[in-house]
Amino acid sequence: MRRKRSADGCDLDMTPMIDVVFQMIIFFIVTLKMDENINENIELEDAPESPVYKGEDKRTIIIEVDRRGWLSINNYQLTETKLRQIVRARYNKFGTFPVMIRADKKTEHKDVRKVMDICTDVGLWRIDFAAIKEAK
Amino acid sequence: MAKKRKERKKGDAAKLEMTPMIDVVFQLLIFFIVTLKEEDILSHLDVSRPAPDPNSKPEEQVDDLLTIEVGRQAWVLNGRPYAGSAGLAALDRSLTRIASFSRGASVIIKCTGNSQHSRLVQLLNICAREGLTNISVFSL
Repeated sequence: MRRKRSADGCDLDMTPMIDVVFQMIIFFIVTLKMDENINENIELEDAPESPVYKGEDKRTIIIEVDRRGWLSINNYQLTETKLRQIVRARYNKFGTFPVMIRADKKTEHKDVRKVMDICTDVGLWRIDFAAIKEAK
Repeated sequence: MAKKRKERKKGDAAKLEMTPMIDVVFQLLIFFIVTLKEEDILSHLDVSRPAPDPNSKPEEQVDDLLTIEVGRQAWVLNGRPYAGSAGLAALDRSLTRIASFSRGASVIIKCTGNSQHSRLVQLLNICAREGLTNISVFSL
């Protein structure tokens, strides 16, 4: 590689730097997850000994319960009646499906119970609780 | 086009101004670095909720039954309360001992309404480690 020298100092070759920067931008764009609508206020309890949740079953419905006992799906707040309608409609359409409850560690059991009771009433008796296997 | 290119001399090649592009690219890079957040690895704790309809109950044989109560202050295993910061460790030891001689035991967890969800998850975590998978959760 021959370097040009101008009259007022040396010219820095920018090409490798731009290449690297573009590579980094492409990496970040690819790894960025924009479509995850989860309630960020929910703090999960640690459960390092339990099996990893892989999210393989696309039928899974994740119901969020925050520490005040408010219910939501995909960060969209719901009343108990609305949640019951959604779960029942889904059950009538697809049959049984996995339910995961994403409850805050400080949520009282009476609020988690609301979701469990709705599921049981509809006919879903297997319930998963989300927890953190490994915090990043 | 090819003719025109040929006509252009080496000395007067159009020089592209790189500075604005580099500025924008760096802005993008900083944005992505700042917004990057690595996701936690999640785990799932599988339980069954006793169905109101007796026909939809799982057809499993109950060999051994272990009942644990989850309260606001303490866990209660076989009538013995496990409270305080040492409670979880003590409960862990007791459950490990019980699970060592009855692996396939069915576990019934009874939660009071005012107990925190973290207590239930901590208990389920111990059960998962000990291979106790037949767990039912009742609410009091």
